[in-house]
Amino acid sequence: MISVRHLTKEFKRVKRKEGFLSGVRNLFSAEYTIKRAVDDISFEVREGEIVGYIGPNGAGKSTSIKMLSGILVPTSGHLEVNGIVPYKDRKANARQIGAVFGQKTQLWWDVPVIESLRLLKDIYKVSDRQYKRNLEIFNDLLELDTFCQTPVRQLSLGQRMRADLAAALQHDPKILFLDEPTIGVDIVAKEKLRTFIREINREFKVTVLLTTHDMWDIEKLCSRMLIIDHGQVIYDGSVEQIRDTYGGSRTLVVELEEEVADFSVPRAELVKSEGRKKWFRFNRLEASPSDLITQIGGRYPIVDLTVEEPEIEQLVRSIYQGQGRRTEVM
Amino acid sequence: MRLFWSFTRQSFHSSAIYRFDFWLQLFSVFLMMYSVFWIWTILYHQRPGAFGISLEQMITYGVLGMALDTIFHPGRGPQMYIAQQIRSGAIDTDLMKPLDFHLHMLARHFGETLFRFSTLALPSLIIGYLFLDLQLPAGWAQGLLFVISLLLGFMVLFSLNFLLGLLAVVTLDIRSITWAYNGIVRFFAGQMVPLWVFPGFIGALAAVLPFKSIFYIPLSIYIGRLSGSEAWQAIGFQLVWICVLIPLGRLAWGRIHSRLVVQGG
Repeated sequence: MISVRHLTKEFKRVKRKEGFLSGVRNLFSAEYTIKRAVDDISFEVREGEIVGYIGPNGAGKSTSIKMLSGILVPTSGHLEVNGIVPYKDRKANARQIGAVFGQKTQLWWDVPVIESLRLLKDIYKVSDRQYKRNLEIFNDLLELDTFCQTPVRQLSLGQRMRADLAAALQHDPKILFLDEPTIGVDIVAKEKLRTFIREINREFKVTVLLTTHDMWDIEKLCSRMLIIDHGQVIYDGSVEQIRDTYGGSRTLVVELEEEVADFSVPRAELVKSEGRKKWFRFNRLEASPSDLITQIGGRYPIVDLTVEEPEIEQLVRSIYQGQGRRTEVM
Repeated sequence: MRLFWSFTRQSFHSSAIYRFDFWLQLFSVFLMMYSVFWIWTILYHQRPGAFGISLEQMITYGVLGMALDTIFHPGRGPQMYIAQQIRSGAIDTDLMKPLDFHLHMLARHFGETLFRFSTLALPSLIIGYLFLDLQLPAGWAQGLLFVISLLLGFMVLFSLNFLLGLLAVVTLDIRSITWAYNGIVRFFAGQMVPLWVFPGFIGALAAVLPFKSIFYIPLSIYIGRLSGSEAWQAIGFQLVWICVLIPLGRLAWGRIHSRLVVQGG
């Protein structure tokens, strides 16, 4: 469905001048800095897959999604979306893809959601029948009817995201790009969005490429994960595998009854200490939390404790540091 | 064509919300028309016959110019929209659509202009007709030519604005240029003062620049200063510039698209 080979994108950024008539002087400026945002990336996405596309901020995720949607033209390399080269035939590509950018909306700010959908219906040349059928689906799954008469600026973030999903899907795209679709959304609304994404993937075989910083999005939705950093693919494989291989390290946070000097526990490493609170990092395969708690509790009375899962960024970093620049292709 | 209608409908939905803003704008247009009316009355009183046309014609020119400013103000074109989308990074969502970008901007701007014409320009014209000696065009033919040249003026202004908007894509910021641009357009377009009042060199420059297509040509046709073959010649002038500016804009967009930088995200 999506095929990316040796894709590279460099940005030439003008070094900005400041002061009077800076805009004009920028026109004649010859000073550039070159940044390689995407560096020789290759991957394939098969039809009907939901692929988590993750990496730290500035890793090149959005840049590659923009190239896949034909907004940006690659510096070099080859890419194809369902047989179409996006930057060569942006309009044809636009008709077969849908996109939601969590940070931006494609809806008109001041008008009721339904009016934006009507305009998009005309833009995408959606037939009346298709429009009605999809609206019913959206009412069903996204409860669109509860807020479709409200102007976008009055919507909650969760509602806005649902409206944007409806806008991205009403022309029945084969591929859906989701760029941080759950950012800033509360837990209940997140769950609704995830259920919907799963549903349209299962029912309509929509292929989904999803970027996120929320590990739960990945865990609940994706069968496969692509991790990129510094513009390169550093991991490509199943979600379970990455948990077993790299996500093994967790942190036990204990709050003791009274302040004590730092101490060590076998098979765990004290990483942080702050008054009565201690942070111990341990490997899931080497030690169990109950063992550690018994050991610590035997020495000092424990008031409170939590086990922290590694954050996505941390996971990515540990993979990056562990793997060096080797690319793992499954 | 359906696209143009859709965007027009959308404009009516989105702009009808700010009622207070609307009344404020209508009031300020009226104030401007009123000032123009008095300035010409006083100038004619002091130097009758110095401006080449009758006072009624001049007032009509000035008042009409102010009323049309509600749709032709250079600071409200597609370049502002493009600049804003570039600044916020939301230009992605425009480029995601299966639309030709140039046509998309034209349809969007056309809708907004039609909305502003019916809600601001038309009421101002009625006020001007009732209270400020604004006269009707000299005849049906003259009125028709006026409408044609107004539409062509719209295309010229749109094309110029589009080019300026593309500059926003390159430099990411056109705020400092916009200010100068607005001044130049309004001056050379003959919005405040008709071009024949301009002194030698500036008058000659204004005569060849495209800006006069926006205000001077439609207004002069309306008051009957340009009629018959002269009017057709002026419309020809507008057409020539449109034939230059549209391909230029499309060509520039093609070039610029490949170096587009989307801010943020």
